[in-house]
Amino acid sequence: MKSDYRLGIDAGGTFTDFVLADKSGQVRLFKALSTPQDPTLAIRNGLALISEELGVSAEEVVSNCDLCINGTTVGLNALIQLKGAKTGLICTAGHEDSLEIRLGHKEDGYRYDPEYPPATMLVPRYLRRGVRERVLSDGTIREPLTEADVRAACETFKAEGVDTVAISFVWSVLRPEHERRAAEIVREMMPGVILTVGSELYPQVREYTRTSTAVVNAYLAPIMKRYVDAVDAYFRALGAKQPVRYYQSNGGLAIGQAMTDRSVYAINSGPASAPAAGQYVCEPFGKKDVITVDMGGTSFDITLTKDGSTNINKNIDFLRYRIGVPMIQVETLGAGGGSIGWIDEMGLMQMGPQSAGSDPGPACYGQGGKLPTVSDANLVLGYLNPDGLVGGRLPLDAAKAREAIQTHLAQPLKMSVERAAYGMFTIVNANMVNGIRRVTVERGYDPRDFVLVGAGGATAAHITALADAMGIDTIVLPKLASGLCAFGQIISDVKYNYMATAPLRLDNDAAYSRIDQLFAEIEAQGTGHLKSDGFKGKDIVVKRSLDMRYVGQVHECTVEIGTFKVDARSIGKIKDAFHKRHKELYTYAEPNSTVEVVNIESTLYGVVDKPARMTIGKGAAPAKALKGYRDAVFSADGKRVKTPIYDGTPLGAGATIKGPAVIEEITTTIVIEPGWTARLDASGSYLITRDKKGAK
Amino acid sequence: MAARPRKKVEVDPITLSVVRGILETTQREMTLSLEKTARSSVFNLAHDYSTALFNHRPEMILQGQDIPIHLGSLIPAMKVVAKYFEGDIHEGDLIIHNDPAWGGSHAIDTCFYKPVFWKGRLKYWTVCKGHLTDVGGPVPAGYNPNAKEIYAECLRIPPVKVWDRGQPRKDVLNLLLTNMRARRDQEGDFNALIGACQVGERALLAMLEKYGEEQVDACIEMLLDMAEKQMRSLIAGVPDGTYEGAAILEDAGHGFGDFEIKAKVTIKGDSCHIAISSPPQIPYFINSYEGNSHSGVYLGLMMFAQLPPPYNEGLYRCVTVDFGPKGTICNAAEPAPHMNCTTTPMETLTDAVRLAFEKAVPSKVSASWGHANGLNIAGWDKRHDEEYVTMVLATIISGAGATPSQDGWHACGPECCFGALTSGDVELLEYSYPIIIHRYSLMTDSGGAGRFRGGSGTAWEVEPLNDDMTFITFGEGRRIPAVGAAGAASTLVDTKVGRLELVEGKVSETIRENVIRVIKPGDRITNMNPGGGGYGNPMDRAVEKVTWDVKNGLVSIEGAREDYGVVITDPATLSVDMKATEALRAKRRAQAAK
Repeated sequence: MKSDYRLGIDAGGTFTDFVLADKSGQVRLFKALSTPQDPTLAIRNGLALISEELGVSAEEVVSNCDLCINGTTVGLNALIQLKGAKTGLICTAGHEDSLEIRLGHKEDGYRYDPEYPPATMLVPRYLRRGVRERVLSDGTIREPLTEADVRAACETFKAEGVDTVAISFVWSVLRPEHERRAAEIVREMMPGVILTVGSELYPQVREYTRTSTAVVNAYLAPIMKRYVDAVDAYFRALGAKQPVRYYQSNGGLAIGQAMTDRSVYAINSGPASAPAAGQYVCEPFGKKDVITVDMGGTSFDITLTKDGSTNINKNIDFLRYRIGVPMIQVETLGAGGGSIGWIDEMGLMQMGPQSAGSDPGPACYGQGGKLPTVSDANLVLGYLNPDGLVGGRLPLDAAKAREAIQTHLAQPLKMSVERAAYGMFTIVNANMVNGIRRVTVERGYDPRDFVLVGAGGATAAHITALADAMGIDTIVLPKLASGLCAFGQIISDVKYNYMATAPLRLDNDAAYSRIDQLFAEIEAQGTGHLKSDGFKGKDIVVKRSLDMRYVGQVHECTVEIGTFKVDARSIGKIKDAFHKRHKELYTYAEPNSTVEVVNIESTLYGVVDKPARMTIGKGAAPAKALKGYRDAVFSADGKRVKTPIYDGTPLGAGATIKGPAVIEEITTTIVIEPGWTARLDASGSYLITRDKKGAK
Repeated sequence: MAARPRKKVEVDPITLSVVRGILETTQREMTLSLEKTARSSVFNLAHDYSTALFNHRPEMILQGQDIPIHLGSLIPAMKVVAKYFEGDIHEGDLIIHNDPAWGGSHAIDTCFYKPVFWKGRLKYWTVCKGHLTDVGGPVPAGYNPNAKEIYAECLRIPPVKVWDRGQPRKDVLNLLLTNMRARRDQEGDFNALIGACQVGERALLAMLEKYGEEQVDACIEMLLDMAEKQMRSLIAGVPDGTYEGAAILEDAGHGFGDFEIKAKVTIKGDSCHIAISSPPQIPYFINSYEGNSHSGVYLGLMMFAQLPPPYNEGLYRCVTVDFGPKGTICNAAEPAPHMNCTTTPMETLTDAVRLAFEKAVPSKVSASWGHANGLNIAGWDKRHDEEYVTMVLATIISGAGATPSQDGWHACGPECCFGALTSGDVELLEYSYPIIIHRYSLMTDSGGAGRFRGGSGTAWEVEPLNDDMTFITFGEGRRIPAVGAAGAASTLVDTKVGRLELVEGKVSETIRENVIRVIKPGDRITNMNPGGGGYGNPMDRAVEKVTWDVKNGLVSIEGAREDYGVVITDPATLSVDMKATEALRAKRRAQAAK
């Protein structure tokens, strides 16, 4: 046995998903409870499940994997719970407070709320130490570094027991030597400390963003290091062939050392693999414009891929902290199976964002939950099997679901339980649709041009309704939906972002050659890193982008460009791409205005071989897989319709099922509304399409 | 524009929720588009803009919670504009307007109105207003402390069509832009505002297409009614009676002395009448026309009502406002100069209304926020050989007031913006303008003392890079600190108010008036913005909270003693003499009780 498997381990809020793909294209999905107190425990438990099922030892599984990949929430949890390390900041004197001033802003939605608290400072004011030094906006040194100030800061940090230090100076992106010298002094005075240098981590314009990014990185680094060291050692002991690769929020893999140095890249890695997975499952259908939606117990994540590439967020507030480094753009809403229905001050029904979570859970779980949730509505509507989910392992109580909806919604709104349940279903769908609008319409995309991919356990019950509301005609729903993100990780490449800053007006040759030179420099650096990780030749792929704007604008628009030489000849192409993007987004362009570049970025990929595709054989015809009928509701009047229920497991490739119908897979339940037809593809996904005429 | 007869339509409660969500999303899309495309740092960084949707009547059906300076101020302006063009509004028209005598707030806020047609009929208006960096006049950026009349402030634009049935009127646009400094930026901002109106139009038409006119109309009527009901039930909870609040508007350098602005709030059942009285208008730029005074009153109301979004005109149906006789500071008439009105006197007007509500419902009130005391800068940028002019938003970011449950936010004001403002990144500002920002920081002892401390104000220190720079100061709050609530008061006052320190060569001076001055490279100015007011008696603040503030440099050792009665004996360890502290606090409490 040699490299028969690839293993993906994705930690979620409730479950850690394990995906094991083998050479033949078989993909197995396992789930173990997540163990946030000791994240490596869930990994051990999951491997025990796998070795039980396969009848071989964990060592044998691991040593037969070409790659083991881990998506972790360690950094995310530390940030949510504010349990990072004690951090000190060394910054330019006079600018110690940019972190706390936060550009002077209070978040929207809380304007008049007297109880909304300020964000907790990851570095309190007394550990933010200013040092005398100054570089100006043209890169000249106005004031040299006063080294004694750095030493004094270190003395304070030592006395206060600081574990990790961030250094971030104004305009260090143009002239990093002051930060570098300060770093040398810190290393000399505090040998054990983990150090983050702003111009190395995030070399882009915007002091506040860079400082905040460096601080979040420093705050998480010791925790990530502890985790990565433990996981690396564990897998090494099991005989892993390759170092474990970790999943980053930029949608790519990284080795452990990179995770420690750039821990801020790890914080939202969970949903970041969804675009890659969505892309992969759509490939057999020749579709490249994909919206992937993932509905779990408490949240709904939306990602978008256009022409095979995914939107990236930079410079956003994440959990109230400004983070600059690229993260796959994930729109997250408080909409999940556990989202609670309630009536607001105006007397309108609302869904979420509060969730019953897994404890007490939806009323129908019978674990003491009294409030009506999306799952309760789906049960009342006849979508979910009252005998239970996960093959009957989780029984559901329909009476409790009805009672919760009756008491809290139907009665106050004076409507039947069915109508109220359908209302809950409609409103949660509308919330999700508004979220999808944010990643499509607000960014200049027409959702009708996209395929909708369902991921996560709860999505499949809503997928045809969502597609209907967005005007989308085609849905791809993989049998593996509930573990799709873990699957996305094992088909991803190693990916590193390299950045540089170049505020330059695009009206002179010197600017063009400077941009060209910067691309060359950062790409040489990136290629070096990938080569030392074993990649070479055509396995190294480079993609470029520029952040551009019209002179005078403050915000930029990111535009992807090819890897051609930037010069007077090619600059027209670059400007045209910017004008075009501006018009798509904001309804107009200014073709005669001067364009300027602010930041430049190259993304370097180390391409990893992909496991073989899953294939479904002939299997049973739908008539053979028919389990029975339920009366389900598909309209606002609450009318019940006799609906066939199919067992998805035995279905063979080509099986076609017309809505209304429900298909029960082991880890998900797919609702096919009237007007839609599902066909199981040999690649293991249902292709669900709108019928030509009279959808609903 | 005859209203069609309204027939009774059954509203599906689910569609109602959905329509509300779409209206909010539409407004968000407009705002986002504006923010991303604008040139003026005053609106893309400062969010000093407002976007709103109106129905055909025109009644405001949704306002985002953009900046409170504009809260409700689009309501009178929209009505004036629609009335002016009554019978002459066509598909493809676009109207511009900025003048306060025509319902505007202050003339630098320039507004675009786009009528949205559906099946040949006027259905909605999408409206975007933003603070441009310049609209002409004798002084860059529009704030002219020497103006005696509105004519000496900037270009006045009454309602004018800039597009006529889809055709841009290039001559009119050119007339307007020719009168403005840094034309490139103003033109870019026109485009951004117009783009945002179109973004709104696109989304509203899609909503009608999907849900049908009849359902959408019925839903919107219902949303207006529901907002009205919500505000009525809130007001019904306030005991009937008349409550008075008064606040001092300090002399900002005009020499007419301090003024008092009064608000009389009368609650009767579920309705509320607010009567304002203010002294006669003066030949100085702090007069407020009615449109702007609306916002001042509504903000005072919202500081009490604390309602979550979304907002529509229904909220104000049960509220009537009397701004006092025409020709007074809060109800100015032509030719009163007015440019500073969105901060001064508005923040004092807001305080007066807030203080009246504090008397009505003492448990539900926040302290006042620091008032704006800011800077505009202008000059020649030798790096690109071009003119620059801007308001520096970083210089008006003050501390927030404390509330009954927590300390005020640092650096979140001023009161008239209520956290909606952003300061702009130091590097972006230095890249855009030829300046060096030596300091942008919180300020020791600037938050108002209280059981809950007011938020810290900010200090912004700047030096011109390579050429002379004109600076213009505006606002106030340089002598009277932000008003506390529930018995809060500070002993150290000078550290809590706004002021400007100027160092020219070896000479330094402190400026507490509105001035226009020119400085050279090597000179420096530091603008200091006030902290927020405290809540409750500072002698009741936990000693550990005071020492933690001292450790973090937000309160000095002197401040601990003077403002909080906490006696720190060792500056290194911050150890506290508890006995001396108890004695001092007892003495202070007794003094306060007298």
